[in-house]
Amino acid sequence: MSAALLLLLACAPAGLPAEDAANALASARTLLNRDRPREAIAALEELDASDPAVALVLGVAHYHAGDAAKAVALLQPAVDKLAEGSAERREAVQVLGLALYLAGRIAEAVPWMEATREWAGSNLELHQILGSAYIQTRQPDKAREVLARVFEVPPEGAAAHLLAAQMMIRLQQEELAEAELEKAVAKDPRLPQAHFLLGQLALFRARFADAAALTRKEIELNPANNLAWSQLGDIYVRQQSWDEALKALQRSIWVSPFYSAPYILLGRVYTKKGEPATAEAMLRRAIEYDPNNKQAHYLLGQVLQQTGRTEEARRELELAERLQGAAGR
Amino acid sequence: MSPARAVLAAALLAAVGGDWRVRLVDVAEPAGLTRVSVYGGLERKRFITETNGAGVAWIDYDNDGWVDALVLSGTRLEDTSRKERSWPAGEAPTNRLYRNNHDGTFADATDKAGLRRTGWASAVCAGDYDNDGWLDLFVTSYGQNVLYHNREGRFEDVTAAAGLATRGTRWGSGCSFVDYDRDGKVDLFVANYLVLDLQAAPEPGQGASCLWKGIPVNCGPKGLPTDTNLLYHNEGDGRFRDVSEASGIAKVKGRYAMTATAADLDGDGWVDLYVACDTTAAILYRNNHDGTFSDVALASGVAFSEFGNEQAGMGLGVGDFDGDGQLDLFKTHFADDIPALYRNLGRGQFEDVAMASGLGVQNHYVQWGAGAADLDNDGKPDVFYATGNVYPEIEALMPQYPHRSPKIVFRNLGDGRFEDVSARSGPGATTPRSSRGVAFGDYDNDGDLDVLVMNMNERPSLLRNDYDGGNGWLMVRLQGVRSNRAGLGATVVVTSGGRQQARAALSQSSYYSHDDLRLHFGLGAARAADLVEVRWPSGAVDRLRDVAGRRLVTVREGEAPAPAEGVAPPGPAGRGRY
Repeated sequence: MSAALLLLLACAPAGLPAEDAANALASARTLLNRDRPREAIAALEELDASDPAVALVLGVAHYHAGDAAKAVALLQPAVDKLAEGSAERREAVQVLGLALYLAGRIAEAVPWMEATREWAGSNLELHQILGSAYIQTRQPDKAREVLARVFEVPPEGAAAHLLAAQMMIRLQQEELAEAELEKAVAKDPRLPQAHFLLGQLALFRARFADAAALTRKEIELNPANNLAWSQLGDIYVRQQSWDEALKALQRSIWVSPFYSAPYILLGRVYTKKGEPATAEAMLRRAIEYDPNNKQAHYLLGQVLQQTGRTEEARRELELAERLQGAAGR
Repeated sequence: MSPARAVLAAALLAAVGGDWRVRLVDVAEPAGLTRVSVYGGLERKRFITETNGAGVAWIDYDNDGWVDALVLSGTRLEDTSRKERSWPAGEAPTNRLYRNNHDGTFADATDKAGLRRTGWASAVCAGDYDNDGWLDLFVTSYGQNVLYHNREGRFEDVTAAAGLATRGTRWGSGCSFVDYDRDGKVDLFVANYLVLDLQAAPEPGQGASCLWKGIPVNCGPKGLPTDTNLLYHNEGDGRFRDVSEASGIAKVKGRYAMTATAADLDGDGWVDLYVACDTTAAILYRNNHDGTFSDVALASGVAFSEFGNEQAGMGLGVGDFDGDGQLDLFKTHFADDIPALYRNLGRGQFEDVAMASGLGVQNHYVQWGAGAADLDNDGKPDVFYATGNVYPEIEALMPQYPHRSPKIVFRNLGDGRFEDVSARSGPGATTPRSSRGVAFGDYDNDGDLDVLVMNMNERPSLLRNDYDGGNGWLMVRLQGVRSNRAGLGATVVVTSGGRQQARAALSQSSYYSHDDLRLHFGLGAARAADLVEVRWPSGAVDRLRDVAGRRLVTVREGEAPAPAEGVAPPGPAGRGRY
């Protein structure tokens, strides 16, 4: 019998024979190990959830069943009642940190995830989430240190600043990202991708001249960067500079023809230049590479509508609507 | 300023598009608009009901020829519970009506007018539903909406008698009086924001829809159930009948509907409805001429952004930005997004030209009440919108998203582009507030547009427009005969100096707000309008030629006067029922 099961036996709830309780917990564990958390929750239905051993298994089961808030409610009061240094306590600490993060209680999650690092120093996923938590709680230096470990780069190097910035952009922390990128290019002006991302952030804030200059710097470093050419085309599209946009977007496709963004932008360019047939071809190519791209379907719907193909247009526009995600808050 | 500096400043001004002689000055305090619009917590908003704020209105409720100011208000929850706070006698927040004293000041007329009411007010729309020449009001709320019948300057709550009482708690948002069936009586459209049980609502941070950029905030609207919108037919006997299902209005689902405006947007002579929707596609209810509506927003190009992305629609401006005689639409959105400017291409088609127009340079703030307001009377409507964050707690962590922020003013350059002149529009524009509803009107009858603004947990702003240029202007007041008396839904097109300008008589626009119904047109250097064309919601058209400027003109349907007739004497005011 494992030490864990012995502990569970010692904690058997009143009103249920200890052996039955132990069996229920063991059964729940087995179900959890087989990725059947809802059945594990059902197996624990009759046990006393105020018992820390029961709360642990139940909390872990709710976490795996996608109910982070319930997992937190079970694990938070139980964790300090589990023996210091025990496997159960470690599990509770780890799952509580992750559950708090998923429940959106990010600042509260950080100390538990930090504690988990003590025995899970090589766990990349944990560090990636901890890095995200540090970004979301606006602690850029700690985020960079943790993410540097994930990507195995020196924490004070330009690459670490770049990686942190990339994660910050993903998490919509644009101003933090911009500061990291400035540090990255100060440390290594020829670092790939940094100027590209700075250009992307300038574009996000509609600083078109800055965006174009920064993107061009990226292209100077790597003229074969198809994403940078596409971004340059995007900047020109937003400035209504159709011929300049066309040149940049063609270059993007010539470097790599398998990315949907330049085709979408070309669709817009040809629409504005009064060439709907070419616009349609470009947008259909974008959809070929990226079938669920709402922008491509939307712009195609508009082109079809302009050319009088109302029924086809309606289908494309409705598909674009179904593909919408969240906006704003 | 030294001569050298003045020369330099003049050169800089010329480089960025010339002189801008609009100066907005907040005169609310000396004018007597002093009462705070309480709306939820001060430093933290626990629930979405506390965040959206409310509208304002310029309404000449006593028909004295001077617009009065209505400012809506919310209330507040107890800190530790979900109950509405109880207030000492006489201190409960209320919607406020300020009567215009004709001398730049106002007097609180709330009680005298019968408008005292405490609750979570959202929107106001105005219309004369019984065609008696006195503008009535409809006020939406989280809770119960209210129809106020204007009895010669005193309002009476006739909600229940009119058949408009809400069953249970609904969250009324936008509204518009609209004569959708051309029977000469305005019907009533009411939008609903979402379904919320305040007692069961999650606390901030308690769910995936309760975070913004990782920071725990009040939950929603994503994750909360949507509601459907309502249309009530005016039966002509003081009662309204719910035709939401039969008219197709309730068929549109899955939207968080906010501001609603009613105008003939496709130029077919029938009034349509456009509704800004939070985080979901906007709705364009096209009038099918048979008592029904179809949502054609997607096919018309006004559902999404230029590239087909959903936006968090809040406020609406309606005006003719490009001077082609057709009504364009302007829609405000959340932080990190830009407004939409939908150019009317004709035949019911629109194109979002916001980025191309230069409006993308302002994108940090949550945007609310908005309008196509020709602030410098040059005949080209400018863009004005108010801003303010919905999460007061964010600012301490992310100062780039301040709770209080400026008003944004974009000058219309006349070539399809706009110039950000916010910083040059006076302290009324630059002073940060957490603002919501905005209404445009000429409260001092001096010929330029002033701005009334609802501010969260502060007194309103009264932005007096101290425009000191020489451009001319014309105001047009409508009086329907076959059409509804207030002329709501009419489009007026003024031609002067070779340029057209279209404006609509709206029951609601901006954010949950109502503008002065005297339609304002800048004439630039012209002394007169060559042509004033009124397209009435009845289908009738009246034309007036060579209409002298710097005056208010009243146009009665079917009685288009000769140039010298029906025109108010020089001077802006015109007393009597509209």
